Amino acid sequence: MAFLELANLTKRYGAAVVVNGVNLAIDQGKLVCLLGPSGCGKTTTLRLIAGFAVPDGGEIRVGSRVISKAGAAKPPERRNMSMIFQSYALWPHMTVFENVAYGLRLRRLAEADITKQVGAILDVTKLGALAQRYPGELSGGQQQRVSLARALVVKPQILLLDEPLSNLDANLREEIRFEIRSLHDQYRYTTVYVTHDQTEAMTTADVIVVMNQGAIDQIGSPEDIYKRPLSEFVARFIGGTNIFRGANAGNDHVSADGVVLQCGSGEFGPSGETAVSIRHHDVKLSETQPDFTSNVASAMVERQIYLGSHRDYLVRLQTGATVRVVSDVAVDIPAGRQVWLYFPPEHCRALAR
Amino acid sequence: MSLNAETAAETAGLRRSIDLSRPIFGLLALALCVLVILPIFWLAVYSLQNDAGEWTFENFVILATDPTILRAFGLALLMALGVGILATAIAAPMAWLAARTDLPCRSGVRILVTASFVTPPFLGAIAWEILAAPNSGIINGIYRWLFGLEADAYFVNIYSFPGLIFAIACYTFPYVFTLVANALERVPSDLEDASAILGASQLTTLRKIVLPMVMPAMLAGSLIAVLQALTMFGTPAILALPAGFHVITTKIWSLFQFPPQPGLAAAAALPLLLITVILLRGQKWFLGRKGYTVIGGKSGSARITNLGVWKWPAFAFVAFILSLAVVFPYAALLKAAVTTNIGEPLSFASLTWQNFNFVFFEFDATRLAIWNTLVLGISTACIVTILVVVISYLVVRKSFPGSSILGFLATAPVAIPGIVLGVGLFLSYANPVLMLYGTLWILLIAFITIEMPAGYQQISSSLSGMHPEVEEASRILGASRLTTLRRITAPLLKTSVIAAWCFVFIGTIRELSATILLTIANTKLVSVIIYDLNESGNLGAIAVLGLTLLVVSFAVVIIAHRVPLIARG
Ligand SMILES: Nc1ncnc2c1ncn2[C@@H]1O[C@H](COP(=O)(O)OP(=O)(O)O)[C@@H](O)[C@H]1O
Ligand SMILES: [Mg+2]
Repeated sequence: MAFLELANLTKRYGAAVVVNGVNLAIDQGKLVCLLGPSGCGKTTTLRLIAGFAVPDGGEIRVGSRVISKAGAAKPPERRNMSMIFQSYALWPHMTVFENVAYGLRLRRLAEADITKQVGAILDVTKLGALAQRYPGELSGGQQQRVSLARALVVKPQILLLDEPLSNLDANLREEIRFEIRSLHDQYRYTTVYVTHDQTEAMTTADVIVVMNQGAIDQIGSPEDIYKRPLSEFVARFIGGTNIFRGANAGNDHVSADGVVLQCGSGEFGPSGETAVSIRHHDVKLSETQPDFTSNVASAMVERQIYLGSHRDYLVRLQTGATVRVVSDVAVDIPAGRQVWLYFPPEHCRALAR
Repeated sequence: MSLNAETAAETAGLRRSIDLSRPIFGLLALALCVLVILPIFWLAVYSLQNDAGEWTFENFVILATDPTILRAFGLALLMALGVGILATAIAAPMAWLAARTDLPCRSGVRILVTASFVTPPFLGAIAWEILAAPNSGIINGIYRWLFGLEADAYFVNIYSFPGLIFAIACYTFPYVFTLVANALERVPSDLEDASAILGASQLTTLRKIVLPMVMPAMLAGSLIAVLQALTMFGTPAILALPAGFHVITTKIWSLFQFPPQPGLAAAAALPLLLITVILLRGQKWFLGRKGYTVIGGKSGSARITNLGVWKWPAFAFVAFILSLAVVFPYAALLKAAVTTNIGEPLSFASLTWQNFNFVFFEFDATRLAIWNTLVLGISTACIVTILVVVISYLVVRKSFPGSSILGFLATAPVAIPGIVLGVGLFLSYANPVLMLYGTLWILLIAFITIEMPAGYQQISSSLSGMHPEVEEASRILGASRLTTLRRITAPLLKTSVIAAWCFVFIGTIRELSATILLTIANTKLVSVIIYDLNESGNLGAIAVLGLTLLVVSFAVVIIAHRVPLIARG
């Protein structure tokens, strides 16, 4: 039985349905990423879980006890959760120590225990030396660590993170990302992590939940989501891809943009319309015509960029559609040259949606 | 802090939220309407009625034809324009010198400008009477003594149109100064570097780059100075009436002297209200023009110009202006406070405590006035602070769709000149149904209305700087709404709440324009007593009261400025 369950969860702001019938079951100790473009309702979902927003429909259950339902919600302070906010939300009038100790003080721990536990978590988050500083005197990365320490020290049942890395610069982002994952491995709190960055989701999550326009599009492991997308949206959003849209030609074949593509996996659209996704680096480029009957197209190189580890091509099909190809550096074809494209069937994935 | 009360719902632990913000919104909206709209409503009604209560345009016909009223309007506009020009002419160069050059004692300059800001203009006017009245004025006395002239010879006469403009400009130039100095500090040095690298000299850069960039702020500041002058009652009443002319505020006041003509006063107040609204729109337009905001990200701090040989002449200019606005007037007040005869030279023998004794122990009216002023100052400050905290919270946190209307109502009184509000409140509350006239309540209502906008701006800007997540972080860690309010919100707002309280208090104890129409013998305030004593010529007592007012104001300003240090903000 899942630990945290969202059942048909719905939230409206005025006429806009911001969260639309979300069903999600999260097992204890798992780190789940809500991934989706900006404005798709991730923060709202998180705020519903935290109890800052009251749902208009559906339920939220923790350990099979209802904590939120339409029009009613257990207040956030009684949920035994922790949240890490996009803005860090540190209290500027308290030192790092006081910020972290706040939750423990509310739980009326003895002062000696507080000192001990705060000290321990500050050491884990490498903040030991900064305990007496004020948040205003810390760098962005340090502030985010304080926010982490503050959330972890109370040993929450559920940990919520809202785009925790979005205000950090690139190299810090990577550092904190690994830190969050290793802290999760250490403490195993059931965690919901919101992000719009697919790399972030792939590297931290046990399970990725892709959201689009208030609804869940696909749930799966990072590998599932990348290798076996179920919709055009997921295929495009995770990792980037070429999409051909065409008619079912029977026998696993789809004909699109003047190319007949045999698809090695996926589901075909019921109405005869199917999209085919093939990743940039899965397309093969050659100056000689490949020896296959299907999955081949002739095209012209529009531009080529040398990127050290690989080459990035943009090629144009006869129909005018463009295809992006990432190839080995050895494949060096100048712009304007006629080429052949081969789309291996095992990498062509049919998408019903 | 949130205004949703919660009650237990049928499932244990779950709460259905009841929205308390709606009734609170309703109450506040009603209160604000009473404060802001009611006086304007009665103003409009009375202006359209004659003494018999019939509907008529008579008052407006008189307004448009009576030469004394038209003259008062004309002179007021001329005076305001003169103040705007003079204030800008002295404040803009001073602001540049203080903000962007190596002028000596720059922080001293700022302190004295602040002092001029804090000085109630009517007190400055009285100080200038002591200095420059044609007969008794100290300057004229010295002038006659130096040149051995007749008793009726004089060098300067403050009871004159130019004298009036000068005395008002002395206490309104800080508006221009502050806006221009802030704007200058925001012109990033790389804009100037860009100009310099293209071959412009320092002077060209100043003229072509810096000046156009601070122009909107300067014009906005000038408009405020114009507005202040136009709506001011105290200084014209003290200086223009002896000179034998009226400006519009004193004219409106005189319409309440016997025989009272409230309808005409109401009609005369409406154009003043209109002009104020137009000037404020203009000011907003100047400050809000997008074209002038600095484009681009981080850039260096303001560049300091080396004045070279001009250093000391520039310093002399600034010192001269500040002497006129602050040093001489304060010295004159001090002298008046410790001597009985203002004309005679200061000597050890002439020192006396008599004025202090008179004000604080002998004269009952001043003791009552000091008490009234304190009571009103403190209660206005407390009420306004509470009001604006709640309003700001509802508006900034967008508690629900219509809450921004409260913000509009809370800021609307900026556009109502004190004297106009005075007339409006008189008309609203001097009738048998709501007989508040003659009580302290009507003054309390006036002060709350007048001071609300400043308080609201202070609190709402600091509240919008505070992310709601700061409160939510406390909730999710286990703190109830009340605990969050106590341990997070309140400490974070403390600094600006104290500052707002202080500014409201200072604003209240110096108010005269509305007060003058709303007091009777029992409800006199220090500002009114000062005005009354001026009419009877008791300068020594005025000086003591005025200095008391100043000392209290400065003490409160210092507290307001020191708070951040104490509160660690
Ligand atoms: N309090 C609110 N009132 C009205 N609309 C809101 C509110 N909060 C969020 N929304 C709207 O809901 C949509 C989803 O917002 P959000 O959950 O913040 O998206 P995300 O976090 O995925 O970027 C947005 O279109 C946003 O404008
Ligand atoms: Mg978000």
